[in-house]
Amino acid sequence: MAQSSKQEPFEPFEFHVTPEFNEQYLFAAEDYHPRYLGETDTGPPLVHPGLLLNQSNVTRSPSFSLRGWMAGIHAAEEVEFINPARVGKRFRVTWKVLEEYEKRGRHYTVIEALVVEEDGLEILRRRTHGLLVKKEEG
Amino acid sequence: MMIIKETQVGTEFIGKSKRLAESRVLAFSGGRLNASGWPSKNIHTDLEFAKGYGLPTRSVSATQYIAYLVDLMIDLFGEVWLTYGKINLKFIAIVDVEDELVSKAVVASKKLKDSRTEFTLSIWCENQRGDKVAIGTATGLI
Repeated sequence: MAQSSKQEPFEPFEFHVTPEFNEQYLFAAEDYHPRYLGETDTGPPLVHPGLLLNQSNVTRSPSFSLRGWMAGIHAAEEVEFINPARVGKRFRVTWKVLEEYEKRGRHYTVIEALVVEEDGLEILRRRTHGLLVKKEEG
Repeated sequence: MMIIKETQVGTEFIGKSKRLAESRVLAFSGGRLNASGWPSKNIHTDLEFAKGYGLPTRSVSATQYIAYLVDLMIDLFGEVWLTYGKINLKFIAIVDVEDELVSKAVVASKKLKDSRTEFTLSIWCENQRGDKVAIGTATGLI
């Protein structure tokens, strides 16, 4: 039987986006658009969306446990953008399990993540449908 | 390349082609560059780790190419899209390290919403063989 993620709440995760951390994702994404590197019409450089999405994966939670025999694979994703994130800010991610279900013998979990800037500004909300797979023995 | 009110249903937009070179996958999924033990081993970065979970190859994190599509939406609708934009995706194939992906969008419908025009786009990423790996929809306002 698959591990139930409802057994444990997910501890929030905080991260600080320095220019260097943002640049790591610009390299990863092959994307050096000026909006991520310098002042824009609306404020400081934007945090690359890849960084925000990657840092809000539930695997970032300090209490997330793969327990050595489970891994999560993305099956579907809904993302709602609420406000642009700015380089230099700190962010906090919280998660909650919305649903768990079986489909064709596989165990799926729907987890909602909310990313909030240090001053309380909501940045994005996402719902990830994850396929949990069991590590092969031997 | 931006959508304007006059953009017609059926118009297609193509994003930049991106090769998922190993160094870029490690930068994305290996953790912070200055962390001890970098890159961290996971199903995205390490073949043996991935095989241990029954995967035939490393599986590039979907968040890496969701970002390609988000970037395309910002190009099409402007930075303001980050204040209201929505995107829905299903992932239908594994993306391997060294695959090359391109993000695409086609205007599926448009309608008046208050004083603006709401566009619904079919969006997807396809690999170097022309196979779709992620499919879905996004909406934007002009």
